Amino acid sequence: MLRLIVVRVLFMIPAGLLLVSFLFGLFHLIPGDPALLLAGDNASAEVVEGIRRAYGFDQSLTVQYWTYISKVVQGDLGVSNFSREPVSSLVIPRIVNTAQLAFWSMGFAMIVSLALGCTSAMYWNTKIDKIITAIALLGICTPVFVSGLFAIFIFSVELRLLPTGGLDSWRSFVLPVITLGAFQAAVLTRMVRASMVDALGQDYIETARAKGLSEQTVVFKHALRNALLPILTLFGLGLGATLGGSVVTETIFTWPGLGRMMVESILSRDLPVTQGALLLFAFMFITINLAVDVLYQTIDPRVSYEPR
Amino acid sequence: MQDACLRLRSLWRLVLHIRSLLAASSIALVSCGAPVSKDAPSSTHPIASEPQYGGELIYALSGETYSLFPGRQPGSNAQDAWLYALEGLVEINESNEIVPWLATSWEFSEDGRNATFQLREGVSFHDGTPFDAEAVAFVFNEAFDKQFVHVHMLEGLQQVTADSELVVTFHFEEPFAALLSNLSHRSLVIFSPTAYREHGEEWMATHLVGTGPFIQERLVRGEVLELVKNDDYWQEGKPYLDRVTVRIVPEVSARSAMLEAGELDRTIALNDFDIPRLEADDRIRIRVVPSTRQFYVALNHTVAPLDDPKVRQAFNYAIDKVGIVQSVFAGTGALLSKAPVLSEGVVAFTDMRRPGEETIFAYDLERARTLLAEAGFVDNDGDGTIEDASGAAISLTLFARRGATKGDDKIAQLVQNMLAEVGVDVEIRYWESSAFGAATNLGPDDAQYDMVLLSWGIPTADPDEPMMMMTYSKAWKPIGANRMFYASDEVDRLTVLAHHEVDPAQRKEWVRLWMVELLDDAPVIFLPTLSLTLGTRSYVHDDRILSIDQYPARFAWIDAQEMARQGVVR
Repeated sequence: MLRLIVVRVLFMIPAGLLLVSFLFGLFHLIPGDPALLLAGDNASAEVVEGIRRAYGFDQSLTVQYWTYISKVVQGDLGVSNFSREPVSSLVIPRIVNTAQLAFWSMGFAMIVSLALGCTSAMYWNTKIDKIITAIALLGICTPVFVSGLFAIFIFSVELRLLPTGGLDSWRSFVLPVITLGAFQAAVLTRMVRASMVDALGQDYIETARAKGLSEQTVVFKHALRNALLPILTLFGLGLGATLGGSVVTETIFTWPGLGRMMVESILSRDLPVTQGALLLFAFMFITINLAVDVLYQTIDPRVSYEPR
Repeated sequence: MQDACLRLRSLWRLVLHIRSLLAASSIALVSCGAPVSKDAPSSTHPIASEPQYGGELIYALSGETYSLFPGRQPGSNAQDAWLYALEGLVEINESNEIVPWLATSWEFSEDGRNATFQLREGVSFHDGTPFDAEAVAFVFNEAFDKQFVHVHMLEGLQQVTADSELVVTFHFEEPFAALLSNLSHRSLVIFSPTAYREHGEEWMATHLVGTGPFIQERLVRGEVLELVKNDDYWQEGKPYLDRVTVRIVPEVSARSAMLEAGELDRTIALNDFDIPRLEADDRIRIRVVPSTRQFYVALNHTVAPLDDPKVRQAFNYAIDKVGIVQSVFAGTGALLSKAPVLSEGVVAFTDMRRPGEETIFAYDLERARTLLAEAGFVDNDGDGTIEDASGAAISLTLFARRGATKGDDKIAQLVQNMLAEVGVDVEIRYWESSAFGAATNLGPDDAQYDMVLLSWGIPTADPDEPMMMMTYSKAWKPIGANRMFYASDEVDRLTVLAHHEVDPAQRKEWVRLWMVELLDDAPVIFLPTLSLTLGTRSYVHDDRILSIDQYPARFAWIDAQEMARQGVVR
């Protein structure tokens, strides 16, 4: 286990450098000139050149690359092309905000999907099961911006119970968490149900029932524990996805998160911000994957990462 | 009890909203010339009484500001934000007139080459340093040394000298007609040279140090800019507000939702289809004002048959501008253009429509087809597309963006459809903004486009900019912004004459003749003019909207009782 953790942590370094280099190359291959974007449609060539010089876009690629890499290994992520603010001070608060949103919505999704999924599996093929499956399907089919906008209009504009957006107090969390969480819950519910149905059909469940254990113990102590592995995988992926940028949710609710910042920095070709954001996100993602793998071993001692 | 009543009323409003949401599509199709609120307060709103002091104005912008330094930022969102803290020598008002601001008076020399400004006394920057001739001279001379973005607005400027403590003179090579209009541009504001010299240009990207009525307190990139009242402001008794908070809300539905919920006091850029619903709400005041931004399709004159003026004119007649205004802009978000490039209110504007017609190049399919036939294009084989004598059809590519300007992608689709009506095949290529910039910034040998959908906004309400940059033969891309590679000796001649002409009446005539040439040559397809929208809660008074895409609220004030009555609590 310790070996696993150490190897994964060490792996982050070459992964990070590779990512940064790849992004650097990519940014310079795709069309798009940040100086032109800043100058606007009707600017003259002189103005564009002036911006290029002022912001340092005219240095040779190799120089830019080595300057950047040497700074990154020292922990300096550079400054934004336009506002000259340090990238770390721009990106880290945003990551924290997105992480909070991701954590709470996945938590909500987990609770809801476990409850609904288990219920569905326990009452397999009955009316309850069919209703829950229909609700889950509806949830998957409803895009976040539809449910989000509806929620805003009902709860914020009309009933004035909750804020429409931003991040001011605990109240700001309610709508985005439920909107994003509901969507993730819908996806997870079906997986939980399938996994549980599978687990409940195993022989050892019959044995447990024969032994006289209560249905609750059978379902939650025995079946669920064994069904957890695939659920955990999906949960980890879902967490990664929500971390990486629930851009739509963040735009609808004006949530000051990482997704919006990444999209804006790409569209404005603010390379340092994009690289900083993606680098930190990559580290987070690797860490989450590591946590999931470690959890695997805890849940199912049969899982081993040692080479045979 | 009162709370419950409010909630019940809210629920009922919700039901009405859902009904109106369902009916919105039919409203959009039917509404034709729906009355729009003018700038003056209507009779249904409480009559404005004496301005009250205090309060915080929360106001939303639609996009990121990137940099707050005037020398490097041409984007209008940032400019609107910094106008609370920075001021210029002169300003432009609702009637597009130049009014004295930090300069109290000015005069031109005999030969028109020098302009001397008397500066206002008793003004200081937020850092305490005095506003004087030295400061002004430094700002403009530095602009040239470091090639700030707006330097082309002062073309021909040799130097700015500080003649005495409060007198500056601008020295030009040749008389410059648009000097005053250009000085009112929001990029040419005066920032503190002391702060600039001490901290450098990069620091100024996140710090505003000017002479304005509000001082920057806090900036969070992409989220909010907070400003507090400047107690030492040079105008007695102003400003009225204690604070101004500028928030960035990119999603248009979120902006209108926040306005209705009372989380915002005012917002720009509303959805045209939301306007009828918002106008019906008596807590909200909607203003729709024509802008100086006209849409156009640049036609590449190096590509046949776009080099033939008859074909270009035919394209103009083939476009149903009324249709565009109705379907893309709900009838209110744009208006029919009365002149090529210039909109009403711009200096030296003349109405160039033919008598009895509602726009230039009024929609006329027959005329379009006749002109195309005259140019040698007819539908020989009855397949719906026109061909020339050798059987070659007209097939063109149109470059467009999505969402760079309100309605741009939809206009592109309509142009495609309308040109198909006369037998021209158009393929649209959508680009992401940054890539679009690179693709349309090329010279005549490298440009890959046949047509490009763009808009030309005139931030100074003066024709000098489009004349020098859009239709001038010396302004071909990549040097200027003439993406058509259009060249006309007569247009060049008139451009130079108007650029140096200081007599307003004579200048108006040069500009009118220039527009006559544009109507003859039809270098582009002229399209409708954009309208600007501003939504404000009715308890906010004296905030303004200008056609140059500016929304000043420096001297606005809030009626606290009315705000409480509407249940807005912060």
